[in-house]
Amino acid sequence: MSMYFVVFLYVFLVGASLAASLINDILSSVIALSIFGVLLSTAFAIMQAPDVALTQAVINSGIITAVFLAAYSQTEKPGCYGEEPDE
Amino acid sequence: MNIRLALSRLASMILCLSFGMLLFQGIAALDMDNRVTGAAAHYLSNAPAETGANNIVSAILFDYRAFDTLGESTVIFTAVCGIAMLFPRKQILHSARGLSFITRRGIGFVAPFILMYAAAIILTGHLSPGGGFQGGTVLATFTVLMCVVYGSGFESTHLPPWKKDLLESAGALLFAGVGLFGLIVGTGFLSNLSAGFPSGAPGTLFSAGSIPFLNIAVALKVGAGLSTIFYCMINIVEDRRGS
Repeated sequence: MSMYFVVFLYVFLVGASLAASLINDILSSVIALSIFGVLLSTAFAIMQAPDVALTQAVINSGIITAVFLAAYSQTEKPGCYGEEPDE
Repeated sequence: MNIRLALSRLASMILCLSFGMLLFQGIAALDMDNRVTGAAAHYLSNAPAETGANNIVSAILFDYRAFDTLGESTVIFTAVCGIAMLFPRKQILHSARGLSFITRRGIGFVAPFILMYAAAIILTGHLSPGGGFQGGTVLATFTVLMCVVYGSGFESTHLPPWKKDLLESAGALLFAGVGLFGLIVGTGFLSNLSAGFPSGAPGTLFSAGSIPFLNIAVALKVGAGLSTIFYCMINIVEDRRGS
């Protein structure tokens, strides 16, 4: 595995985690978290931990995204009922 | 930005960076030699002979530390119970209609392969990476995919909540039964080869004693439990939309 790919992966990991925590829009944040899970499972597979990589891929990109989207569709969004989102 | 907010952000940044340094030390220690001592060295050298499983991770999870795995699956069971208690379980059959005809047909062709992938992960958990937890989660994700594509009515007609309860309880009973078998024979709770489970030839599908049974039990528990969590949360949406 070339060094450039690993560095690219880690930079992308940090970027995805920052995006997931800093974006105000919850939907984009959930999608960024899903991307972060895929990248992290790739990193685990590179570090020769395939069990953890499989768990990470399935849990974070499958179940967590589905449950977060279900929770997102349940809750009231700011600005949904004509109100301005309070910063 | 006032000074208190800046200070708290600075403190959390320092905390994150120091935690990252700590994790990086762990990654850097992977390359050093002679770092495996104690119980880990014993597992690495003796696990295939003592458990019959090629996958050492699953040998530790379902043989040496099987009692911990029972505790973990109990944690999931408790979480499912709590969520099912928080969200009312209502059955509204025709609420979400699902996606278009093309998507339905396409997913219909793909669906058997997803199920086959989950079954392969579960049944070869003692040979290759994977196991009951991962395979069960793939099954739960499969039910989520079915809900998205075919609508929530598909799930409540084909796999109603009482069937999921039955599957989850069957998994728990299978796990406890395998454990109690060792207790009855007299070698201890959840003992594997010493309790008389056949070891088989290492590397084949029918090997490793009780580990495949425990894999199936955990897969049933995790798959049914996570699927129940998702459908408990989704049912309220359909209720609000239907009324």
